[in-house]
Amino acid sequence: MIRYECFEWLAPQMTDELVVTSLSGQRVEWGHLSKRDADLNLGSMGNALAVGIGLALALPHRKVFVFESDGSVLLSLFNLPTLANLNPSNLAVFVFDNQAYSGTRISYPSATAGKTDLAAVARGAGIEHSVTVSTLEDFKKEAAAALTETGLRFVVCRIEETVGHRKITRSNVDLLETKYRFVRYLERTEGKTIFHGRG
Amino acid sequence: MDTLLARKTAGTLSKAGIDFVTYLPETRLSEILPALRQDASFTLVPVSSEAEAVGIAAGAALAGKGAAVYMEGTGLFVSSYNLLTVGVRYGIPLLLLVAYVGSFEDQRNSFLFSHYGTRTEGLLDTLGIQYRILESSEELEARVRGAVRMMHALKQPVALLFTGEFTN
Repeated sequence: MIRYECFEWLAPQMTDELVVTSLSGQRVEWGHLSKRDADLNLGSMGNALAVGIGLALALPHRKVFVFESDGSVLLSLFNLPTLANLNPSNLAVFVFDNQAYSGTRISYPSATAGKTDLAAVARGAGIEHSVTVSTLEDFKKEAAAALTETGLRFVVCRIEETVGHRKITRSNVDLLETKYRFVRYLERTEGKTIFHGRG
Repeated sequence: MDTLLARKTAGTLSKAGIDFVTYLPETRLSEILPALRQDASFTLVPVSSEAEAVGIAAGAALAGKGAAVYMEGTGLFVSSYNLLTVGVRYGIPLLLLVAYVGSFEDQRNSFLFSHYGTRTEGLLDTLGIQYRILESSEELEARVRGAVRMMHALKQPVALLFTGEFTN
């Protein structure tokens, strides 16, 4: 399964869902395909899932998607028991697992290239709906269900290690711009002031 | 911390606009947890690591919550990467309620904590996080009010280090 093809299918389906992305090629590809104010690019490893949990708890009436990678989840495995016990029904987590630390210039195997099964780890932590998908059709089923149904979902997407993101021209948007765009979007759609300024 | 002071602390936080608290329990200030729990205006989120306590509170802050993270001083070392990448670099208002273990005024100071305590302020300075130290309940309201105002003005995490009377 190719991550870019998953995103090509999912991006046009999104309406008012909030999306949090971490680091690696997935944020580059998602940022290329989705230009929504509801997208929050964190630009760091090991934080997206926690931030997504916070958003889901604070806005229980909104659907929150988190796009993670195997390396990022492995860096913050303590998130999984916390997520299981909080069990936010409006959160869907998709872990794009290419079994590698695949940055701009490197490719080294992660623990999931060996014996580690992240979906099994999540199930062991107590997340009931924790599954692995490895075909585009199965990804579409899980993503469609996440869009229309309630209940915490943790979906490990076994993907090929691809380098297509390296050919995408990076956005010139600063992280702070991303934050303000996202917060102002929430202010508009939630009808409340979040960040106060003085002009 | 005695029960009355814990209740006063919880009430002061509420009055200052804090309504979402992530926490990992510790020994000095843990009496605030039942006090926070008694007030329905607080959302309390137990975590497994101070690292995710920062991230979860940050998500809530982006959604408009008055977010705080309650942790032991050692948790600042655990969560320093998350404080820097999410809190400081991304610019998110967070109130850090820190039990200042191992500080000179920590009433339960011990060999176990003094090495952390003597480096806590240096760590916050390195991270660029503003902080104030609270030793007496008389300072409580002004310090909390000032810290919350400052975290919103800076759009950054601000820390309150609780020691002295708070660590009895």
